[in-house]
Amino acid sequence: MFDIDWRGLLVPFAYVLVLGGTFMTFSTIYRKRKAMESANLAPWFPPHLQRNVYLSLLHLEPEHGSEKSPKVPDSIIRAALLRRAVEDIHRIIQVRTAKAACSSLLQRGSVGDDLWQRFQRAEKEMEEELRDVVMEANALVPNWGQTIFQSANEIAANTSLRERVNEIRAQTEAEKEWWEKQRTSIQEGFMKELEQESQSKTAGSEDDTVLIDTAAAAKKKAKAKAKK
Amino acid sequence: MSTDYAYDEEGHLWPFFVFTLTLIITLPLTYLLINRSRDPAAQFKRVQTSYKHDHAQIVDSLRKQEKRKDRKIWLVGLVVAGWAILAYMLYLINTTEAPDNKLWNPYDILNIPDSASEKLIKSTYRKLSLKFHPDKIKIDPAKNETLEDLNNRYVEISKAYQALTDEDVRNNFIQYGNPDGKQGYSINIGLPKIIVSDGNGKYVVLIYSMLFGVLLPYLVGSWWYGTLRRSKEGVLMESANRLFRAYKDNIDEGGVIAALSSGKEFEALFKGDKADAGLSKIESRILAEGEGSPLAGGLSVKDKSRLEDSESGPQRKALALLWAYLGRVELDDPVLNKAKFEVAPVAHALNKAFTQISLAYMNTAPLLSSYYTSQLLIQALPPKSSPLLQLPYFTPKIVKAVEGDSRVHTSVQGFMDRPDSKRRSLAVGKGLLTEEQYQEAVSVAKQLPYLRVAKAYFKVTGERFIIPSSLVTLVVKGRFVPPGSEKVPEVNETDLEDIDPAEDDLDAILGRKTPKQIGKDENGKPIMSAAETEPIFPPLAAAPYLARDHSPRWNVFLTDSKQGRVAVPPFTFVQFDQPIFEADGKTPTFAMQTVKAQFQAPPQAGHYTFVMHVVCDSYVGFDTKMEVTLIVEEASKAARMAVEEEISEPEEGWSSIMCYFF
Repeated sequence: MFDIDWRGLLVPFAYVLVLGGTFMTFSTIYRKRKAMESANLAPWFPPHLQRNVYLSLLHLEPEHGSEKSPKVPDSIIRAALLRRAVEDIHRIIQVRTAKAACSSLLQRGSVGDDLWQRFQRAEKEMEEELRDVVMEANALVPNWGQTIFQSANEIAANTSLRERVNEIRAQTEAEKEWWEKQRTSIQEGFMKELEQESQSKTAGSEDDTVLIDTAAAAKKKAKAKAKK
Repeated sequence: MSTDYAYDEEGHLWPFFVFTLTLIITLPLTYLLINRSRDPAAQFKRVQTSYKHDHAQIVDSLRKQEKRKDRKIWLVGLVVAGWAILAYMLYLINTTEAPDNKLWNPYDILNIPDSASEKLIKSTYRKLSLKFHPDKIKIDPAKNETLEDLNNRYVEISKAYQALTDEDVRNNFIQYGNPDGKQGYSINIGLPKIIVSDGNGKYVVLIYSMLFGVLLPYLVGSWWYGTLRRSKEGVLMESANRLFRAYKDNIDEGGVIAALSSGKEFEALFKGDKADAGLSKIESRILAEGEGSPLAGGLSVKDKSRLEDSESGPQRKALALLWAYLGRVELDDPVLNKAKFEVAPVAHALNKAFTQISLAYMNTAPLLSSYYTSQLLIQALPPKSSPLLQLPYFTPKIVKAVEGDSRVHTSVQGFMDRPDSKRRSLAVGKGLLTEEQYQEAVSVAKQLPYLRVAKAYFKVTGERFIIPSSLVTLVVKGRFVPPGSEKVPEVNETDLEDIDPAEDDLDAILGRKTPKQIGKDENGKPIMSAAETEPIFPPLAAAPYLARDHSPRWNVFLTDSKQGRVAVPPFTFVQFDQPIFEADGKTPTFAMQTVKAQFQAPPQAGHYTFVMHVVCDSYVGFDTKMEVTLIVEEASKAARMAVEEEISEPEEGWSSIMCYFF
């Protein structure tokens, strides 16, 4: 019935194919690149040293030769967990304060989108980390999970306070030195002034005598004249 | 009748088309080019000085280089090409003959005057038909004529005769301009024939697809990704991200400088092996013992450890060079010295982004650190160094002679407030300044725009009291009193008031400026004041070491001193309403300047004590810090008090607020 010109239809089909193919490749490459970028985002925080210490204490490898892994005292494990919680406190404070600033800066276009992505990832990680610490604490001591972050907070505050005090104390030596120097220079100044004063006094008295002399001489002369 | 589209075969239309199009593009570009090549810094006044430091040449060449970069070669090329095309099109329009579309005129064909009588027409026709009748005339081979030509000529003649005698034909001629009746018209498209002629079609399609398929997406894409690449402050987005990460609540100036060195811009500046070239030399120089500070670069112990902890590479080199720049350390190597002056403007640009970041946190200390860093970068001073180093010829040695053993640095104002003989005895001498150098330094100091705040208060326009959540205006009144100014006039009390415009003065309320009537001349014509004063710009920052021209700006903001938080974010002022210096650019006018900032009052009534900071970003030690109290009254109480006051004391106009100077 219909006489289809297949060869003539080839051109539009090819056109649609090429067009569709271009879009497909473009979108797949674009998405892949996006995924790569978000996967390769640098972590917000540096490696969590305290957590690593805690985990390696928990899963100590058996020493060479012996079958059993060495027993770590409970107190040390608890201390390591507390240290981990303290570091978490530092990080959570950083995340909390940075959140409002980061979102407002992002809205204004002052920072990039990838920073915000990194930030959100860090936030999620921190949530997981906190939950993990609470669970670990509860496993070590019943109901410790409710209080571990309170004590960690105290420790963090205390450490920062102590750091500042130490910073101020570190300046004592220099201050002392400067003050000593200042004192000696002031003393020298005073001594000089005193010396000058005494010198000027003696000089002044000499002058006085001279004056008196001349006055006396003048008087004598006057007397002599009067006598004449 | 034919209504076919014809293309412009003779080429007398498309030059017009191209001419118009090119004109539309070229004129704005030319304006842009002229506008851009005018030096924007030229309209600013400068601090007059003949001082040149050892590397003034490098700084000057860098400044020029920056201006050249601004000029854009492609723009020049486009404008030149545009004008060339315009000229060629004009030439084409002038030379190509327009096709003669002469009106068909029977009188011309018969060669008779327009006023010829019917008799004359008839006789002429008879004569001509006798002469040109194809049967009578013989083909003249010499004239290269054919039978057809002769026929045509005869037809024309008879047509002309008919047009003048026959009623119908005459009507046709009058109506349509042709004895045959209505003629077909043609539409010409102003495109050259080449475009549509056979065989060229593929090239046209190629160019078309290149324009819309390649060039357009490329331009849009590069624009879009260009905006993504840079932050709002004009620094690379990656740099802004790094600065955000480097932010700390207790960051000091040294910390800000270390943070700025992480900018990605430095990676482009120190590519490849440039990143480490000369690094050890710079470090040994800046960490050597200095004259006025323990280390020549002016680094503190913390800054030193920051430098030593930073990774080797562009960041470390930038940091070392920044310290060399701030400490004005001689590097004895033309390349390194040039790099030293190159890093400072980049760091200054990055610092703007850091200011915004610290502002987002709303903490006072980092914001102040950022502003102080800007001052240090512009003046090439290390943190906690003497502000006196801003003056020409002042070296750490001279500063030491001036300051003695004092731990508190003498400010420029403090130095200049001393009597001339005292200053001279301290600064001039053997190994110190010469008499000319001292004069130069004093003359520069007397030109520095120090904004001395006279009064600061809050008010609500048109109201006597500040009620909760109203729009409060912070009014800061101050005068530019350069250090060492003599005979400073007393503050005129009336200048300190800020009188609201009358309620019916719409122009003043809306900020429109109208020439005011000053008086009337003898004929009763009103004399208008000269067009309202233009905004006055302060002179460009006296910064001999900065490889850019910088117009100083003043930031006014309120902080809560107890919490260390910014209460009202900074308002930045670059221009003022009163002249700062007389026409000679040296004599201060001491005119009272007014700057205003509006913000929302707190929602609760009470006394709010803020610390107001007025920070100039270009000069060290020119900042003002004072306490201001915002009294917010309950709305009901304010209304009652207003009524009472109206009875007792009607002239009190605005609520005054006490200011305590620190």
